[in-house]
Amino acid sequence: MIYYSKTHEYVRVEGDKGYIGISDYAQKQLGNVVYVDMPDLGDELEKGEDFGAIESVKAASDLIAPVSGEVVEINEALSENPRLVNADPMANWIVAVAMSDPAETDDLMDQEAYDAYCAENH
Amino acid sequence: MIYASLPELPGGKPRPLPFYLAMEEHLARNYPGGEYFFMWQVEPTVIFGRCQNPFAEVNLDFCRREGIQTYRRKSGGGCVFADMNNIMFSHITTSEEVTSTFGRYCRMVADTLRALGLDATTTGRNDILIGDRKVSGNAFYHLHGRGILHGTMLYDADIPRMVSAITPSRAKLSAKGVKSVRSHVTTIREHLPSLSIGDFKSFCREHLCDSEQTMTAADIAETERIALPYFTDEWFRGRHRGADAGPERRRIEGVGEFAVSIDLSPAADSGGIPRIRKVNLAGDFFLLSDLDEELLDHLSGVEYTRGAILEALSPLPVDRVIANLTAEDLASLLAP
Repeated sequence: MIYYSKTHEYVRVEGDKGYIGISDYAQKQLGNVVYVDMPDLGDELEKGEDFGAIESVKAASDLIAPVSGEVVEINEALSENPRLVNADPMANWIVAVAMSDPAETDDLMDQEAYDAYCAENH
Repeated sequence: MIYASLPELPGGKPRPLPFYLAMEEHLARNYPGGEYFFMWQVEPTVIFGRCQNPFAEVNLDFCRREGIQTYRRKSGGGCVFADMNNIMFSHITTSEEVTSTFGRYCRMVADTLRALGLDATTTGRNDILIGDRKVSGNAFYHLHGRGILHGTMLYDADIPRMVSAITPSRAKLSAKGVKSVRSHVTTIREHLPSLSIGDFKSFCREHLCDSEQTMTAADIAETERIALPYFTDEWFRGRHRGADAGPERRRIEGVGEFAVSIDLSPAADSGGIPRIRKVNLAGDFFLLSDLDEELLDHLSGVEYTRGAILEALSPLPVDRVIANLTAEDLASLLAP
């Protein structure tokens, strides 16, 4: 199941693991990504707080955690090739966390609600 | 657009760069309705991009020697050198949509320059050119659904100093992070030698803004609170990992290795410079006396600048607390 935040991050939930990345809408907004500033393994992400940044040829954005949890995986491929985020943002998640509270997805949007949110806001 | 005006400090002294970046954030966070613009200048400062490695992109030795301050900003892009002859433009928008917002803003600024008779155009790289040379470079930062756009505007420039400050002393090709792109620059003064910097600023303000809002004491206090993290070593260094990111612990020959942590509190006098709350030093240096009582406690409340630290240290027996350490070395350790 995939959930989205208002700041355009997603979390794909698999068991108690959450794969966090930015949405297709966000990557289109940003344009060509030139750098993804990622946390370290073992860092604790807190929902609503920034955990890194993503920079494109046009802009820099904070990455805001959609859920809390310890970073258990980092998508190292992005440090060599950040453009993967543009090529397929859903396959190219940024970090995976061991979610500390599954109920934190309750106030996130599902695909349909998120699509409507993007359409309505822009 | 609303001009966000800021009461001047005595003698027209500029505030340190983090204050102005924090003012952008304050407006974006706390004044959701309006589109804001303001101009500011700083003492010589290198500002590097959000995802840059300063150890690879900035000539830190030159900056330290020349008293040039160095700060990381939250927007993207490469490093820039600013001094009092460079006017920083800040624009806070109600839209987070990058392409159209950025395009519109750069066109507005170029239009302002054209109104002065200059041959100004915008480029796809978010630069503004006069003829074929760059006079303004701009960057974008998303903050909670709003956009912060800011950029340089060279009224006049000390080009050799600028080049020295932003040319790393040795190439670090393997370093990670966003690389700076060098450009040939021009200045307003080169084209309009009889227009003063003050008149140029007034013209821009009148051309771009139709109302004004003055920052209150509460706005300034909140701005100073937001500015604090920009002064920290952690923010300066960023998240760049590996040997290229420079030493985490600093070594002073003949004294030892130091790990520094400094807790800051907001400026008390609206000058924008925070004060030291507490300093901690750890390392393998040789301690001769009580570190806190004899030395570090005396720094609480002192302005966080190398000069003020040096002044506070002058009556203290630094080398009788830490063997062979001079007040100069300690001050540059605390305020690199």
